[in-house]
Amino acid sequence: MTQGATRSQTPSGPQKKAGQAPALLLRDIDKAFDGKTALSGASFRLDWGEVHALVGENGAGKSTIMNVATGVYAPDHGEVIVDGRDVPLRSPVDAVAAGIGMVHQHFRLVGRFTVAENVALALGGIGRRIGIGKAAQLVKRKSAELGFALDPEARVERISVAEQQRAEIIKVLLLGAGIMILDEPTAVLTQQEAEALLSMARRLAQAGHAVVLITHKLQEVADHCDRITVMAQGRTVLDAAPMAQTSLAQVTRKAFGEVKEQEPVQPGTLGGELLRLENLRVRHGAVTLDGLNLSLRAGEILGIAGVGGNGQSELVACLNGLLRPLDGKIFLADEDLTAASPAKRRKAGLRVVPADRFDSALVRDMTLSENLALTGLESGRFGPWWGLSRRSMKRNAENSLKEFNVLGGGPETRASVLSGGNAQKVLLARELAAGTRVVVAHSPVRGLDLRSARAVLNLLVASARQGAACLLISEDLDEILRMCGSAAVLNRGRLSPPLSGADLNPARLGELMVGHA
Amino acid sequence: MLDGTLLIRRQAVPGWLGASCYAGGLCFGLGLSAILLVSMGISLENLYQEFVVQTFLTSQGLGQTVTATVPLILVGLGMSLAMRVRFWNIGIEGQLWCGAMAATWISIHDVGPEPLRLLLMMLAAMAAGAAWIGIGLALKLFWSVSEVISTLLLGSIAFFWVQHMLFGAWRDTVTGFATSPSFDPAERLVLLGWEQVHSGIWIALAAVVVCTWLTGVSRFGLLAKAIGANPRAARATGLPVIAAVSLFVLGSGALCGLAGAVIAAGTEYRLSQSIGAGYLFSGIVIAFLARANPLAVLAVAFVLGGITTAGGVLKVFYGISEAVVLLVQGLVLLSVLAAQLFADYRLTERKSG
Repeated sequence: MTQGATRSQTPSGPQKKAGQAPALLLRDIDKAFDGKTALSGASFRLDWGEVHALVGENGAGKSTIMNVATGVYAPDHGEVIVDGRDVPLRSPVDAVAAGIGMVHQHFRLVGRFTVAENVALALGGIGRRIGIGKAAQLVKRKSAELGFALDPEARVERISVAEQQRAEIIKVLLLGAGIMILDEPTAVLTQQEAEALLSMARRLAQAGHAVVLITHKLQEVADHCDRITVMAQGRTVLDAAPMAQTSLAQVTRKAFGEVKEQEPVQPGTLGGELLRLENLRVRHGAVTLDGLNLSLRAGEILGIAGVGGNGQSELVACLNGLLRPLDGKIFLADEDLTAASPAKRRKAGLRVVPADRFDSALVRDMTLSENLALTGLESGRFGPWWGLSRRSMKRNAENSLKEFNVLGGGPETRASVLSGGNAQKVLLARELAAGTRVVVAHSPVRGLDLRSARAVLNLLVASARQGAACLLISEDLDEILRMCGSAAVLNRGRLSPPLSGADLNPARLGELMVGHA
Repeated sequence: MLDGTLLIRRQAVPGWLGASCYAGGLCFGLGLSAILLVSMGISLENLYQEFVVQTFLTSQGLGQTVTATVPLILVGLGMSLAMRVRFWNIGIEGQLWCGAMAATWISIHDVGPEPLRLLLMMLAAMAAGAAWIGIGLALKLFWSVSEVISTLLLGSIAFFWVQHMLFGAWRDTVTGFATSPSFDPAERLVLLGWEQVHSGIWIALAAVVVCTWLTGVSRFGLLAKAIGANPRAARATGLPVIAAVSLFVLGSGALCGLAGAVIAAGTEYRLSQSIGAGYLFSGIVIAFLARANPLAVLAVAFVLGGITTAGGVLKVFYGISEAVVLLVQGLVLLSVLAAQLFADYRLTERKSG
């Protein structure tokens, strides 16, 4: 539709000015999934030339309404009006044709292809077949316009996450997107990279594009957005309010209910050393952990900051016993666990809460009572080997679900039905059960809304108060600063010495996170 | 018209819906098979006679069906056990051949005292089946070799081994045919006095009981469920994955080996080149249709036993290839699997505006 005109313009935007028909207008949208309401009378209005924040808890309907806008879901009811025209979006291809593009949290790029090849592939998908050379030219021109360098010949799997994101943005622009939806774009970036991205969003808006920024980070909203829409429970509770007249406190109240800023956690009393890593070296794929040393005491919450992909997952897998270190030692108290199996580590009191809770911790297709019983089978708590006691499994689940305040399911509910926050509580209920001495939590609140996040972090604090040692691996500096008395930074497989006291501040951590150690 | 409809994935599938979709698929598959057979020149009347009356409603027919069902139960259970831990045992026939060979070896060499001979034959068959699948299991555990490939190829190897024995050391010197010498009376499963039905039926029923206990009551059942649904989580959680997988997979091989011995000692009374044919396909069909549930295996195996019996009759009296049995099995399986779509998804009209 508008794509031909859009693309040929220089610098890069559709020639739209504020005051014309809105870029995107979603009106009175209902959407239910098999009876479960996701959107109910939701609306969204986006104008040309603005950066528009979309804020809300997980499950508030942000993703659903943007999926309606991009043709992924058909609304049960309601209108989608793009640039003043009623456009039936029957598929993502229709949305692309209408000039709507989305940069997802997980990029839609083929890792083994170069940037130019990815662009050519995407353009081919909408019927515009061009050669790789031509695609490379387009990428070069577009990246110059946007003010950064991106090698069109680079293989996507070889470049950094920030560069992959740029490749994705360029691809979406070249597909003719006048409307650009960015889904939590800064979640994977360092502070500096995030700043660069947000100013690029601003430049796009100035060039006449309309940009939607879905985010959890309210500071970004305050600093970089023109207007804000807040969603809660499938409804639009704050509709395109100008940022200048909106306070963050107001936004927080609308989006998350009454939530007070959380105080930093007061450190408890520290006991003796519980976990010690000595010169740990791990190699896995392209990642190498190089000589990690670490000491963790009872009652301590030690943070490991750093941008994902710098060895975090490998460290977790190594602590869990899924990845053998090349060299070095892992001690729990004085027990050498370097070569121990996951089961033996668990017995020794080492518990891991991995980042991908549904991939490597919980079993979607089993009930909560089964999931909660899995780790206790061997102890005989749930009956002898020849006869499981479903009754005691159920009782155990009832107690755990109550104690950890899990909502949205009972013992016989399948885990897949739970929301992220409740699933995480189930996992913690299992992992923080009796006998926990060391807890390794990897991004334990990623993807959770504020309320669940707080509940989960409080559970970790409580377990530290009871004498467990806790290793908190996270990309979120606020979380680290609030939770941890000291923190180290993992960057390119190397762990910095722990910072504490006045040294433990965002600037210092940020420096270590991007430094070329 | 389809343009105006949407598929909506259901959050939870109600039991009645799953059951009726299953039944619907079953009827559709059987109906399609009936149309096919009618088009091949068998009248509906005869079809009814052969597939219903002569296989299930007459004493003689029922006896034949039950006899055919016994090994089907065993291979169906075998496939089911492996499926539970996501191990694709495509070597059912290989394990079956090895089981039959082990039993024959005991018979030919008169191993052990005569009263215990039959028991020894069965135990040896189970051990042989387990050992044969054990090769595929070890290749998978230690070198991540796909079990689909390894068990399939081991199946062929086992068959060539059978041929090697039958055309060589074990050839029946009395008849000169490429079969083993016939088993002594003490080496045969006892006839129960109703058609050809033999005591192997008790073995099969016992296997159903053991498998029901293993998958539904014992601790290993829950372990297998976790491993089947999310092996990564099972490993990360420290569950005894290797032990549980080995137990189920070796059990699978043992049951298939046992099936071989039951056929040899129960109906053929010798090892021949034809006793194992078709069991791989049937085992897969049974396990899928029964959703790896041991009690359901019993029911499905019985129905397939009937189809097998009728298929034999069609071949003799109507000149229709026995492959038609495989065709019917395949049609029914595909229909039931396809009907699953209607349980998992809901069709709705796309509303606009």
